[in-house]
Amino acid sequence: MISSLISLFLKFSLFSLFAFGGINALLPVLYDLSVNQEHWINSQTFSDYFAIAQAAPGPNLMTVTLIGWNVGGVLGAAIATFAISWPSSIMIFFLQRSILNMQDKQKQQMIQFAAGALAVGLVLSAAWQISLQINQSLAAYLLTIGTIAITFFTRIHPLYLIAIGAVLGILGFI
Amino acid sequence: MSGFGGVLPWARRTIVEQEKWLTAEEFSAMLGICQIVPGPNIVNLGVCVGSRFAGVPGAIAAVMGLMLGPVALLLVLAVLYEHYSYMPIVQGMLRGVSAVGVGLIASTGFKMLRTELKYPPMVTVILLVILMAAYFHLGLGWVVLLASPLAVLLAWKKTKR
Repeated sequence: MISSLISLFLKFSLFSLFAFGGINALLPVLYDLSVNQEHWINSQTFSDYFAIAQAAPGPNLMTVTLIGWNVGGVLGAAIATFAISWPSSIMIFFLQRSILNMQDKQKQQMIQFAAGALAVGLVLSAAWQISLQINQSLAAYLLTIGTIAITFFTRIHPLYLIAIGAVLGILGFI
Repeated sequence: MSGFGGVLPWARRTIVEQEKWLTAEEFSAMLGICQIVPGPNIVNLGVCVGSRFAGVPGAIAAVMGLMLGPVALLLVLAVLYEHYSYMPIVQGMLRGVSAVGVGLIASTGFKMLRTELKYPPMVTVILLVILMAAYFHLGLGWVVLLASPLAVLLAWKKTKR
């Protein structure tokens, strides 16, 4: 377990620095690491952890916390959460002042535009890849597509959609 | 996206409207930076706001404050999951929730894409990233490194308009 925890710490720390677009952009990489490479959890458990993290209040890095919990209990959860946060935290700590106080407004905008485009690409490809792993039926894909349509065109609170998804699942439709 | 509507609007209300630690403009600028740099957005925001007022200890306190409650609740849910995940009802519920969850992430992506469409050339960067990540399955680091030069070049042109 100690070697798993060390591996978890090192890999999650590295992921932290490439997570443009936040933790959602990381989901396919997390899947690949924890299911295909390290065999910490199977595909079903990953998908369940993702669901729990989505339904629970709090930041969206909770899937990471749950993977850590599976590997090493409370200690594992703490290590995973810390690992995914510390490198980017140190980076933002030093970057924020220099970016916010940048005299050259054009350069500041350039950084924002470039990082923004990377984030869009990563979030969209993450959603695509992770839907292929998580959705196992036509009904599940329809629910995903319906969610996209509803949130894109209305301002309904996501919690209602999560609740609808839960009810449809309990009734055995998904 | 951070927690259900929970964290961000609430953070904004406390920081800007009630405590007046930051003006609305300062908060937006800070949030903008925190969403573009890599890493968990809400942790980044905690670091930015906390360090602004009390340096490193402030950053640590802010992040701890944002994380401890949700993580504790999450671990309770994890224990419940261990006990009840064999039940078909629980399995079905989780399948439904995860299908919606993926949709919410995709929809965030599409909303961000809509903003990018104001400068169409930038869409090439987005397509390049999707191609490398979803089709060629390159590692995240490679995708970011390979797409960055084009992203920076187009971003520079975008600022020149």
